[in-house]
Amino acid sequence: MSFWSRYSRMSFIGLVLLSLAACGAAAPAATQPTPAPTAAPAPTAAPAPTAAPATAAPAPTTAGAAELDPANWDGVLAAARGQTLSWYIWGGSESINTFVDTFYGRPLQERYGITLKRVPLSDTVDAVNQVLSEKEAGKDPGSVDLIWINGENFASLKQANMLYAGWPQKLPNSRYVNWQNPAVNLDFGQPIEDLESPWSSAQLQLIYDSARMQESDLPRSYAQLLVWAKAHPGRFTYIAPGPGGFEGTRFVKGALYELSGGAEPWLTFDKDMWATWSPKLWAYLNELKPYLWRQGATYPKDENELHGLFANQEVDFSITQAIAGAGPLIDQGLLPKTARAFAFDKYMIGDFNYVAIPLNAPHKAAALVLANMILDPQLQAAQIVPKNGFGLGFGIDVTKVDDAGAKAALAAAATQLGEAATPADQLARALAGDTAAPYQDLVEQEWRASVLIKP
Amino acid sequence: MRQSRLTLALTLAPALSLVAALFGASVIYGVAQSLGYLSIIDQTTVGLAVYRSLLIGPSPAAAEFWPALGFSLWVSGAATLLAALGALLLAGLLARQRAPSAGSVLALNVSLAFPHLVWAIGLALLLSQSGLLARVAAAAGLIAGPADFPVLVRDRYGLGIILDYVTKEIPFLTLMLLAVLRSQPEGYDLVAANLGANRWQRLRYVTLPLVLPALLAGALLVFAFVFGAYEVPAVLGVRFPRMLAALALDFFLNPDLRARAEGMAISVLMALIVLLVALAAAALRERRDA
Repeated sequence: MSFWSRYSRMSFIGLVLLSLAACGAAAPAATQPTPAPTAAPAPTAAPAPTAAPATAAPAPTTAGAAELDPANWDGVLAAARGQTLSWYIWGGSESINTFVDTFYGRPLQERYGITLKRVPLSDTVDAVNQVLSEKEAGKDPGSVDLIWINGENFASLKQANMLYAGWPQKLPNSRYVNWQNPAVNLDFGQPIEDLESPWSSAQLQLIYDSARMQESDLPRSYAQLLVWAKAHPGRFTYIAPGPGGFEGTRFVKGALYELSGGAEPWLTFDKDMWATWSPKLWAYLNELKPYLWRQGATYPKDENELHGLFANQEVDFSITQAIAGAGPLIDQGLLPKTARAFAFDKYMIGDFNYVAIPLNAPHKAAALVLANMILDPQLQAAQIVPKNGFGLGFGIDVTKVDDAGAKAALAAAATQLGEAATPADQLARALAGDTAAPYQDLVEQEWRASVLIKP
Repeated sequence: MRQSRLTLALTLAPALSLVAALFGASVIYGVAQSLGYLSIIDQTTVGLAVYRSLLIGPSPAAAEFWPALGFSLWVSGAATLLAALGALLLAGLLARQRAPSAGSVLALNVSLAFPHLVWAIGLALLLSQSGLLARVAAAAGLIAGPADFPVLVRDRYGLGIILDYVTKEIPFLTLMLLAVLRSQPEGYDLVAANLGANRWQRLRYVTLPLVLPALLAGALLVFAFVFGAYEVPAVLGVRFPRMLAALALDFFLNPDLRARAEGMAISVLMALIVLLVALAAAALRERRDA
């Protein structure tokens, strides 16, 4: 038998398998409950450790979880003792991982007898898919106790009815949260409906390189940005709006606010208002387009790609959401030491991020304890200090804190943001809320049709 | 060695049945989802609405699907043709050496060891406008600045993606062709040379007919692989147009879980297209063998 005939038979078998694989590729969730479909690999991301197999979660402690009453806090603490908490959390930043282990893992063990198992994800959508796969497979208890979540991932789990409800406002520390603030009770415009509890806050900012540009030359509005871009063709771009590129979506929404002269009207959905202003928005972005990097033929797909372009000096601005500004990115070696964050005078959208508990979480009591501990004012003070490694803002409203020691800690932390951060007063002045939820899809889809695809 | 047919079937049976069960379940499930059966949001109605909006439109999905299909066919077709052509020439050259040097075979094998993702990132680092070549060219004064370097990766025509697949698949196909050529008697080429055939004629009338079946099968593998691949288009592609696999995953990962139906429908259509091409090739082979 010649090599050829042996080979040909195998190759045709292989071919059939391959063609089937083309179909099966997008559907790994169907037959393999454990490894959730991986998210789009971010090309410039460091090879983050993939999620640890979650099969080792000890199950016997789940008895009684169904009758757990978050209002009876002593009961929650008693039920949580001895549990191992699986926290599915984006693990792309080593400094955040260290922060979580140090500032949460240790006190959880010492104060409450809870073991924290941090399950690092390369993308939070992996945790969402894990929970959705468990729902499809009818697996209860599942393996995910707590997820660091916001925006699209929250919307997905909410749509699938897979979130444990009715606990955030019952946490003892929830008194520090300003639940009346629309930036808190709307997550990407989506009402949170007592399904998730805040952890920290973030706000859109731009980054420039102080070695390349003077602070006085920075554009401070979308109108000035257009002028700047025309004077420096090819030196600016923004993240493509869309799933995974939410910072780009926010950048575009900011332009919408400026063009229409205000952010508040966009908090409620109004079709006619969108019909009036969206053509002007696309006209602005299309006027900007020929002066963008690669003449707007393509756009970076996420923050990492834009940081890469910025660090390679292909463009002069990057984008971040961290309250500590460029600081954490400098520490990770992604940006030059001279990188600085700054804000426009108005319309920089800010938001909160949250923790949520899946409906089938095996250790809900421990998850509640951690969600509560996160809101502790002392730990909130620790999380904004750049050297602690987290670098996002407060999740609580600091004016609601009355304890003198905690107040002092919060005030001290606020002075340690460092020179790579946008000055706090600038950020506060520019803060705008996100739009009502339906605009998210409209902005993303119509941007593709009206700006990206348009020749 | 005729009894080996049964032995072969028996030895392959455990692996094949496992694969068939896993893939079979995936395929059935995928088709169900593409028809709108989405148990994650408790939606159990089934219909062809998704295919209609994808194929006929007018809808945002159709506006994305058709360009993506054209782009996928262009990229996989061009990559396959170029890789096959390159492999033919290279194999023709190497086969002329009585014993292909260990070095050249090693070089071919080494390139196979690189995963596509690594290869793609390497190309991006080398050829992007902030890449190594752009910087060298700018430093040498060939271009005014790195940004003047021609756009070879993340370009609208998929040149970067095609380049990646061509450079990766030429060694793969060449090794296949060399294996065939080396199993043939050496005399054909010599006889042709004695009869006055020049190098081109020997390639055309001796080498090509000998390797054509293997080349065809290999090219099909390459086509099916490129048509369904995700990671290289994700690294070297642009936001628009995208290849079908990238588009399908985008739909699948859309926060609106209903969009999973579109993602699955695109995957099913991709599988059908590859199956059609495979069947056509099988028919072609039958005719040749007959």
